[in-house]
Amino acid sequence: MATVHLQANHAAYTDGARKLEVHGATVGAVVDELAARFAGLGPLLREGSSVAIDGELQPKGTIYAAVAPDAEIHFLAPISGG
Amino acid sequence: MTATEKPSAKYKYIGTRPVRHDGLDKVIGKARFAADLDLTGQLRGVMVRSPHAHAKILSIDTSTAEAMPGVKAVVTGADFPVIDPTDSTHDEAINNIARDEVLYNGHTVAAVAATTIAEARAAAAAVKVEYEVLPAVLSIDESLADGAPIANSTNRTLFTRDTEPSNIASVGPFQRGDVEAGFAAADVVVERTFTTKAVHQGYIEPHACVADVGQDGKATIWASSQGHFAVRSKTAAILGWGTDKIKVTPAEIGGGFGGKTTIYLEPIAVLLSQKAARPVKIVMTREEVLRATGPAPASKIHIKMGATNEGELTTIQGTLHYSNGSAKGYAALTGAMSIASYRFPNLDLMAIGTVDNTPKSAAYRAPSAPQAAFAIETLIDEIANELDMDPIDLRLKNAVVEGDPTAMGAPHPKIGFVETLQAIKDSEHYNSPVPDGVGRGFGTGFWFNIGEQSSATVNLNEDGTATVITGSPDIGGSRASMALMAAEELGLDVHSITPIVADTESVGFTDITEGSRATFATGMAVVNACRELIEQMTQRAAVMRGVDVDQVAWIDGAAIIEGPPSEGAEPLTIKEITGAAKMTGGPLTATASLNAAGAGPSFAAHLADVKVDEETGEVTILRYTAAQDAGTAIHPSYVEGQMQGGSAQGIGWALNEEYIYSGDGVMQNAGFLDYRMPVASDLPMIETIIVEVPNPSHPYGVRGVGETGIVPPIGTLANAIAAATGVRMSELPMSPPNVLKALNEK
Repeated sequence: MATVHLQANHAAYTDGARKLEVHGATVGAVVDELAARFAGLGPLLREGSSVAIDGELQPKGTIYAAVAPDAEIHFLAPISGG
Repeated sequence: MTATEKPSAKYKYIGTRPVRHDGLDKVIGKARFAADLDLTGQLRGVMVRSPHAHAKILSIDTSTAEAMPGVKAVVTGADFPVIDPTDSTHDEAINNIARDEVLYNGHTVAAVAATTIAEARAAAAAVKVEYEVLPAVLSIDESLADGAPIANSTNRTLFTRDTEPSNIASVGPFQRGDVEAGFAAADVVVERTFTTKAVHQGYIEPHACVADVGQDGKATIWASSQGHFAVRSKTAAILGWGTDKIKVTPAEIGGGFGGKTTIYLEPIAVLLSQKAARPVKIVMTREEVLRATGPAPASKIHIKMGATNEGELTTIQGTLHYSNGSAKGYAALTGAMSIASYRFPNLDLMAIGTVDNTPKSAAYRAPSAPQAAFAIETLIDEIANELDMDPIDLRLKNAVVEGDPTAMGAPHPKIGFVETLQAIKDSEHYNSPVPDGVGRGFGTGFWFNIGEQSSATVNLNEDGTATVITGSPDIGGSRASMALMAAEELGLDVHSITPIVADTESVGFTDITEGSRATFATGMAVVNACRELIEQMTQRAAVMRGVDVDQVAWIDGAAIIEGPPSEGAEPLTIKEITGAAKMTGGPLTATASLNAAGAGPSFAAHLADVKVDEETGEVTILRYTAAQDAGTAIHPSYVEGQMQGGSAQGIGWALNEEYIYSGDGVMQNAGFLDYRMPVASDLPMIETIIVEVPNPSHPYGVRGVGETGIVPPIGTLANAIAAATGVRMSELPMSPPNVLKALNEK
């Protein structure tokens, strides 16, 4: 299972949990599982987050990015630039 | 300027410094910017802007204006679709033109199109708007005060379950470890509150566009922007149109720096054109640019930091407030996340974005990072002083490397911070004696950089030359960088390659040129298209030589036949292959699109020598050196240009620039005479040192370089002023009056 790291503001939806073990072969599948487990978290992760897999920042909206079983996934605030 | 060691042995074209393909047109004035375009029958559009910082619109009477000479169309917010406040388009739509509530002085409430600019201005002045003036909040402190008026009735705090209107845009805590234990372990603890004012990106070219809606109902827009596909999609969303009804042609851009990632004019120009059945041109004045387009946010940051006597940073705690202006946004979150350069084992940061009645803030080079770096680099410098440590050694001791966590916990990929610090430490500048009466300051900066979507088409012409077509507006020399990467791949001379930025109907979708992504992501699309072309050319060469394709290798710009039966056959050049293309299968062209992951973060380190006039408070920069990790410098001159430009803008932010408001929210310095940006005579030559720690996620190791250069200057100069005077500045700008005040309070 991949390890998901959430930000502190996500923890309001997860009873305080910020590190979770989650099944899912893609970012989208991981988000779907988290959304099913924690009401209200889905939109926050889908629309209000950037994602890093094993430290590599993913493009916005790439729900099909592959997630290895031992991957470390971080959901971050949106990152863009000037 | 320090020349780099390029060209390297590794590459033939990458790392060289050819004259940019678009350079001549720009030097001789032939390049066409949006304001240069004039169409037959064109009208001029002028905005009607709110004189109030916050008000309810009770009524708008356009009848007098519509009857005036030359007037062909008038639009108000009522002409645009209603967009739900929860829709991601809402805030930008409302910022283009208010419907019911004006949110800042200068907010557009109506627009007029007339035959001449004078007629349009006269008619705009005749539009009668009845307002109910509402109380306004103009700063972070006013937004957060008990009982503060709500600055924007549609704002709800992002990322929360709050449903009530609020002056809080977003809240984001970042935590790891145990900060109290970190302070207990610290021998030195420093803390300060830092305040910065809103500053403008200061692009020389004001916002401008021309829109022409044809009889088929399709709009063509020529616009100055950092992303014409975004102009199309945003305009379509605000108008409620399909993107197939809008074509956007990118004009040359006279500076953006993040400020042209958003739109202000295009939907209005389109509706005016549709109403008038004539093309409409709108060009902002400088005053409009300053009053009504996005500045970088004001901030108020309190940070407390601890370290051991050995110089190990043990903990950081703080609150970062950023004003998003009149709309919601992520500015504070981004600011907190940019605290990513040092290994703090214990961290507790609270990011709070606020909403007030000033213009909706916009991105500005490494958005929100310079304000945070001002705080971090000042406090680290204080710790170095207290410990009597070399400021670079202290940073080297705590510098992040691959695998260390950022503020939000994700590990850094391969980075070059240590190498960048070392580059300054080894520099002639750092090792030169500090002249008497001079203060030397050091500071650093970081930016994430991004990838995102890009497309490229590469056409090989019949004479063996090539055209590289992309959708990334060239805001910093990217045409030359695309051509250099194509030259390296194909083995063609860089000046045999014509790089073009195409309109929204002539190249695949491409995201905005922001986050230092163009050379990284669009460059990868170019490389991929070139590699596809090489595949095609080896197949054509096999046909021409009558061999199996496996016997053809592509080496140094030519097809080499390996093995029997054609062993010893002359290589086939691109020119020979393209010349025979019609006999071997037709034109050679390839397109590549991608959504790029793995943008490499970039770090910078700056060093400044300053002299402070203790009678006037004026700060004079005597020498300035900037080092930055570029991954691989595709065109070193434009890497250096980005470093120098970012430094100059950061210096302006540090020393002079600020939005000054009257008590009723009117900007008092909406012109370049009073909004004091640095000019050439204010600056020494910015010396540059390019550090190259290749990004493993790019075929040539590229890291974006446009953002990071603006991050270190504020902290660097604050530290230099402290070294010169013994006074720690914690309020921007460090202008003569503010420096003099601090000196007098010493």
